[in-house]
Amino acid sequence: MSQPILMPKLGQSDEVAPIVKWRKRIGEAVNKGDILFEIETEKAVLEVESFYAGNLIKIVVPAGQAAPVNAIVAFLGKPGEKAPDVAAAPASAAATASPGVEHNSGGRHGGRPSRVENKDSALPSGGSGSVPTVAAPLAASAVPSKPGRLLISPRARALANTSCIDPSGIAGSGPDGRIVEKDVRAHLDARGYDKLRISPAAKALAAQQKVDILAVTGTGEGGRIMTEDIQRAMAERPKPLTLMRQTIARRLTQSVVTSPHFYVTVSVDMGDLLKLRQEAKTRGSDYSVTDFILEACIMTLQEVPEVNSSTDGQSVRWHASVHLGLATSRPDGLVVPVIRDAQKLTLVELHQAAKALAARARDGKLLPEEMSGSTFTVSNMGMLNVENFTAIINPGESAILAVSSTLPTPVARDGNVVVRPIMKITLASDHRLVDGAMAARFVNAIKTKLEDVSLWTRSI
Amino acid sequence: MPNHLNDLRPDFTKRKISCGSIQAYRFDATLADELAARHITKREAVDLLEDMLIVREFEEMIVKLRSGAYPACAGFEYRGPTHVSIGQEACSVGACSGIAAEDYITSTHRGHGDSVAKGCVAIRQMNAAALRARVPEATGTPEEIYEAALEDHIFRTAAELFGKEDGYCKGRGGSMHIADFSVGHLGANAIVGGGVPIATGAAWACRYLRNGRVAVSFAGDGAYSNGVVLESLNWAAQHQFTNMLAKAHSYGLPMIFAIQNNHYGMTGRADNEVAGVEFLARRAAGFDDRNMHAEVVNGMDVLAVREAMQRAAALCREGRGPCLLELSTYRYYGHSLSDPRNEYRTKDEEAAWKEVDPIDHYTREIVAARALTRKGVEALVEKVQARNARAAARAAKALEPKPADVLKYLYSDLTSAVVPAEFQKVEIVREKPVITRTNGQLTYRDALKEALLEEMLRDNRVVVYGEDVAEYGGAFKVTKGLLEAFGRERVFNSPISEAAICSTAVGSAMLGLRPVIELMYMDFALMSGDAIGNQAAKWHYMSGAKAEIAMVIRASVGGGKGYGGQHSQTLESVFAHIPGLYVVYPATPRDAKGLLKTAIRDNNPILFVESQLLYMTKGEVPEDPEFTIPLGLAEVKREGKDLSFIVWGPAMQDALKAADELAKDGVEAEVVDLRSLIPLDMETVLRSVRKTGKVVVGSQCVTTGSFMGEIIANIQHDAFDALDAPIQRVGARDTIAPQSHVLESAFLPNVGDFVAAARKIL
Repeated sequence: MSQPILMPKLGQSDEVAPIVKWRKRIGEAVNKGDILFEIETEKAVLEVESFYAGNLIKIVVPAGQAAPVNAIVAFLGKPGEKAPDVAAAPASAAATASPGVEHNSGGRHGGRPSRVENKDSALPSGGSGSVPTVAAPLAASAVPSKPGRLLISPRARALANTSCIDPSGIAGSGPDGRIVEKDVRAHLDARGYDKLRISPAAKALAAQQKVDILAVTGTGEGGRIMTEDIQRAMAERPKPLTLMRQTIARRLTQSVVTSPHFYVTVSVDMGDLLKLRQEAKTRGSDYSVTDFILEACIMTLQEVPEVNSSTDGQSVRWHASVHLGLATSRPDGLVVPVIRDAQKLTLVELHQAAKALAARARDGKLLPEEMSGSTFTVSNMGMLNVENFTAIINPGESAILAVSSTLPTPVARDGNVVVRPIMKITLASDHRLVDGAMAARFVNAIKTKLEDVSLWTRSI
Repeated sequence: MPNHLNDLRPDFTKRKISCGSIQAYRFDATLADELAARHITKREAVDLLEDMLIVREFEEMIVKLRSGAYPACAGFEYRGPTHVSIGQEACSVGACSGIAAEDYITSTHRGHGDSVAKGCVAIRQMNAAALRARVPEATGTPEEIYEAALEDHIFRTAAELFGKEDGYCKGRGGSMHIADFSVGHLGANAIVGGGVPIATGAAWACRYLRNGRVAVSFAGDGAYSNGVVLESLNWAAQHQFTNMLAKAHSYGLPMIFAIQNNHYGMTGRADNEVAGVEFLARRAAGFDDRNMHAEVVNGMDVLAVREAMQRAAALCREGRGPCLLELSTYRYYGHSLSDPRNEYRTKDEEAAWKEVDPIDHYTREIVAARALTRKGVEALVEKVQARNARAAARAAKALEPKPADVLKYLYSDLTSAVVPAEFQKVEIVREKPVITRTNGQLTYRDALKEALLEEMLRDNRVVVYGEDVAEYGGAFKVTKGLLEAFGRERVFNSPISEAAICSTAVGSAMLGLRPVIELMYMDFALMSGDAIGNQAAKWHYMSGAKAEIAMVIRASVGGGKGYGGQHSQTLESVFAHIPGLYVVYPATPRDAKGLLKTAIRDNNPILFVESQLLYMTKGEVPEDPEFTIPLGLAEVKREGKDLSFIVWGPAMQDALKAADELAKDGVEAEVVDLRSLIPLDMETVLRSVRKTGKVVVGSQCVTTGSFMGEIIANIQHDAFDALDAPIQRVGARDTIAPQSHVLESAFLPNVGDFVAAARKIL
């Protein structure tokens, strides 16, 4: 009996995952614990281990294609055994489906999902500015325009290539609708290809970059297509969104659509706390401003549990623990690592946990469970020199705190204008759970804590 | 003088047929007797011992190498075969010393002894100039140069076993295929019996060339159960070499069948098991009314072997060959070192044979005859050991062939562009056949005949034989008239022995002749599978380009005539798969002539395929005797721009007709005739494919596994982007050629199939 291998379920929101690479070939022996394939999730490339031993007798979902969670991606069996005739689940459609469409049909095929391990090397290290390599092999499945392989003869393709045109729109007259040479020639004639004027350099560039010169408007003399025209066409060419960006798009759109946001901003005078931090630093304790803000949030969330809650639209759930999400930027997008049970941590532990998670996030080494289950999120742009901003609530939470830069600001103090280091914090709340008064209470409670140095002298 | 016509009358008179008698173990002299009778000199007597010692030392080296116990080659790993002949030294040395240096031998997979002995004996007979030529870098006294030549011989033999570039065959042959053509060693043969017909062909060439030499085939008892060996015995004993058909040159083949009967064919026991005779020499009686001058000889006695061999060689040189010598001997080791021997024979048996060890026995003789003292023998042993060790050590360290040279020597670049003066003189025994053109046209059949005639007139080394090729002119009359022109020495009927026809051609080609042999139906080429695939194809390469195998095998395809499964096959794909062969298949009279002439002048073994469907086709054929067509040059037989037919053989004619048919729809089809599969002209094919983008590959081959797939693979590899449609294949159906006309029509491809295949992609 062949053993189906399923697409594992990886995190809270992963419904579909593309297979980046098969690490076993058809016919190859698979031991329990061997890495079978690699998948790309929203946040990382992960290695999937096999729970079973056998021979890989069939790959249902080849590399470069995506499959819904729990869908059969392959079969193990005895050497030479015939695998059941199973078509791949509608994966590429699912990969680009609109938010809210659920493909998770949990346990449909009975087998247990395989184990997943993080693959360290697949993501570029943080801050390098390089383009994420994970997106590249998936371009085909991520771009929805081509349902299958273009049916075209090698000769017709070669003619299209040397003519620098895109043959995908040409109607084929060959067997099974295959585009053959004469179809390409007819297309060229119909589009007045022989009247097209193009500089040799532009044509060479177009050939190299696969730019369809029939779609380029020439700006040279008499409409001649010049190198700049090709370069412009290249720049404008759509590029597939990375999976991470697709995820961001899906989740944040979901949040904005389902959660009615409102915003409450307060200014926090950070002067005393910064002084205290400086003193602590001279004593060898290196806390960041963020540490204090997070700690203040944690304390306040315990005081105001309504803000540490979630709703499905029907019921509300208060969370006993604070799982604090830290919105962290990466060159290619945004991830939210989570400090679990943050209320149990001392300030020192919190500092270490936040620092470690931030580093792992930048390096792309977060595990799925480190990126899910937050109950409240802080988005800190303090180091990015912003006066104020609002954030979008992480789906499944009731609010998010946007922390801006601490800037020298003239303020009224005892009837005088003085310059103080002021930091604005803005709470975005889901009005289904949080009302204005509660939000005001929440942000002011944070403000009070950050401005009350006596609160901190005990803990540092 | 008219052709010979048989006039056989029925004669059923009651009688008894006597098979005569065969002498066994007639030699009973001692070395002292032989010295006294001046049958041998003291020097020659010592040389015999030395050569046996060299052989044994050499083979013991192989045994020791396998266990790392040969200090001279410490650290060297020998990875070749270990078919040692220890115990059989008297056969190798005695036999080689009984013939002349320029005589020929073929040997076996257990042939180290034969190879070493043939070289040693030849070197001992060489004059100073010949010795210097063998070892040009050696200096010193004549005795020192002679010593250097002996050591060089051991070195080259060891180097060949070790797969080194300095080996006799440049490391391409190895232990089982070692050859040294410069001393008449035409090759050891790893096919049991494979060397016997080659020696027979060489003997036939000696007869033809009148060079006074003999050919000896060494082969074991196992080989004398093998079909081609029995064919060879018959071949060598044919009456036509000695009776009235031989006219002025009545001369039996100078061929000595030397059976090295060590009593085990691998492990099969010649005695009591896999043969029905106690003495294999009895085989001779089955093929020759005179029993071929057969003898059974004590193969453990070097003097007995030598004496019998001298007698046989003398008979051969008188034209009284062939002869057969059964040398009864013993193989001390197993088939190879992985054979423990105890599964099929007793220890006592081995001990009894070691009691008559050829070296121990002869050492006693030599001491008794005072040719050497005991001390002298010991010194000789040490000298041999030291010389062998030096040679082996050098061989172990010698240069390996370069990996890039793996294909080097597969084909010969040589041709008979210049015919040596002695072969330019051609005698017309009666009259040349008249070949007449009608409107400048010849049939395919006559075009072939004209090619044969012109080439036989040009070069006396070209000989023609096969079944029924003489008076009858071949089953399809291609050779009709050649016997009358050139006589039976150059055009003769062969026995129905396809394996021997092809293998004897290899042997005569090794001696410089250029045989053109005929296989009446290509199906029979499978009878000659070993001769064509293992012998003809391989010897140029396996000998490190020392052997030129200039031969043409004309094979006629019978498909399309309702001759059924065994007379209708188109098998060129099978032979195109065997490296070392050229495969040519002309489709027009012009190509038939031009290509056959080139094939005859080429030094490679060539399978030249003809079709009986084409013999009557007519076409213009140049009369110029220097008209030739290069091999490996496809020809565009019809130009077109819409589609390419890539075809050969009769399918080419079908493709031309299909092109006519398609032209009615305005389609311009191009027809490319490959003309030869090996060498293959992909240039011309690709040029056509790039032009048209649409390809139909066609032949009369059974489709699956045929050469058509090879063409298609090359096209998709080299001109993928030129293809505008999937490549179509038109071949015979994947079945056996049926006799029924209806079925055979369905089996073979036809014009309609080509048109349909084309329309599918137009």
